[in-house]
Amino acid sequence: MAPSTILAARRPLLTSIASVSRPSRTTLRPITQSPRLYHCQHTRPSTPTTKTTTPSIPRRKYHSTHQPTPDHEYTNSQTTILTAALRHVPQLGFTRDALTLGARDAGFLDVSVQLLPRGEFDLILFWLASRRGLLRAAVDNGLFRKNGPRELSVEQKTKMLIMERLRMNADVRNQWQDALALMSLPSHVPLSLSELHALSDDILALAGDTSVDASWYTKRLAVSAVYASAEVVLTRDSSPDLAATEAFVERRFEDTQALGDKVGGVKECLGFMGSTALGLGRSWGLKI
Amino acid sequence: MMSPSVWRGLRHAARRGGSISTPYRCFSCTRAARVENNKTNDGGMTHFGFTNVRESEKESMVGAVFSSVASSYDNMNDFMSLGIHRLWKDHFVRSLNPGSALPSRDGTDPANRGWNILDIAGGTGDIAFRMLDHATNINHDRDTRVTISDINPDMLAEGKKRSIQTPYYNTSRLSFLEANAQEMPSVPDNSVDLYTVVFGIRNFTDKQAALNEAFRVLKPGGVFACMEFSKVDNAILNALYKQWSFSAIPLIGQLVAGDRGSYQYLVESIEQFPSQEEFRAMIHKAGFMIPGRGFENLTGGIAAIHKGVKPLS
Repeated sequence: MAPSTILAARRPLLTSIASVSRPSRTTLRPITQSPRLYHCQHTRPSTPTTKTTTPSIPRRKYHSTHQPTPDHEYTNSQTTILTAALRHVPQLGFTRDALTLGARDAGFLDVSVQLLPRGEFDLILFWLASRRGLLRAAVDNGLFRKNGPRELSVEQKTKMLIMERLRMNADVRNQWQDALALMSLPSHVPLSLSELHALSDDILALAGDTSVDASWYTKRLAVSAVYASAEVVLTRDSSPDLAATEAFVERRFEDTQALGDKVGGVKECLGFMGSTALGLGRSWGLKI
Repeated sequence: MMSPSVWRGLRHAARRGGSISTPYRCFSCTRAARVENNKTNDGGMTHFGFTNVRESEKESMVGAVFSSVASSYDNMNDFMSLGIHRLWKDHFVRSLNPGSALPSRDGTDPANRGWNILDIAGGTGDIAFRMLDHATNINHDRDTRVTISDINPDMLAEGKKRSIQTPYYNTSRLSFLEANAQEMPSVPDNSVDLYTVVFGIRNFTDKQAALNEAFRVLKPGGVFACMEFSKVDNAILNALYKQWSFSAIPLIGQLVAGDRGSYQYLVESIEQFPSQEEFRAMIHKAGFMIPGRGFENLTGGIAAIHKGVKPLS
């Protein structure tokens, strides 16, 4: 094998996701968010061919060199096997059998699933990451323009995106409980959570959220919580067109709204009490 | 006669091992002496433990070591690793998951069914029997077959003896091959699904040549898997481990197997083996794709599992 092809094979490259173009995003985002495709270019300066082979990926304006390379990016062979394996998931679930059949479909041997050190969990991660890519593609293809030219609010867009993402799981919903169980194994929890964060981050960024204060965190937490719980509901949803799940998401959003109102109310109340106490103290001659 | 440097090295090694007053019983006094050295310095040099020897000599010296330990091999492994080597080997086999659980697609030809596994330096059959057991009992695959290859006829004889106790004795699923892993003309190109070498590759004279040979015999998509002693990453554990391996292991070797020199060689060869990253680079150099990080440390890096996958084209 020529050295250059080895390089190409080893370079972490989510081909299937990279092929999905990235939505233009003008918002500056804190560096803790990691568009997972890009920083491998920065942390691995030893691959000068990157630029020439992936010209479609725009370089980020800024990045942190301290961020480690995210460890769920796949080489071309891995992507081929995983993509082929995903076709067997609705029948076989996220299992080693699906991987083996995927490897056979891609022209590999049974033993070649050793390419994926995490086995089934790699299949799940690949599913999550590639669906995230499809979500971006859906927005590019006019998800928000479906209901006419009317401009939607950030919250409406967020809700739409969550439902769109949940619909992608509809085919595998009978297998999804197994996948959730695998993801909740202690050794898999960090990667699963980071993938959940990446999803909520993507959803909010695509919905056009521009918050830069503490609500940046709370919003992502809220979206993560709504999505994760809705995912569980989905696994038992047999209603037509996922109506039950949609109603569930609707209710959770109302809850979030109500909770936000309550927190705001409490904050306001505390503020009034504080200023009252201040005024009272001053009227008593305290030098405050 | 042995070359003076070899002699000095071995004597030095013996002295460092502790205060044993019994006369030094050199494993290679008789055997290595037979390896006549013709005092030419033109041959390339390589490691034999901490000693430098000519490449042409290493093979026979290693052969002498393993001939002398073949019979007590398992007992010694248990003593030296406190039984942990069994856990490592079980984990190694389980992670490879040999055998096809799903029925083969191009089914009728039995040569296409199951995996063709080549177990290099697997003389006593430790790994081979485990893999066959796993294929049979876990994956219900009765077609997967293992070829045990070893350069040393004494180790192979030990494996053959043990295979009598297994259900694979005298079946087509188990075969033996006496061959040098650096050059195996009897194994055709692109014929092997899985190539394993467990605690063997550090004894090879030319490791890169063995890796290249592995690349040749593997089918496209086939897997090279290797378990070998490696470098400990934790300083405290490393200190303990070094103490154990340089003081205790040669002593255990002397008491249990009556052979100090062989086990002195063993710990020295472990010390000489490249680190995880260096060895991964060697696997990559042979042409393999490296899955993920490329290696998995066991017990803090005392041993490490390396894997490589042969690309399709």
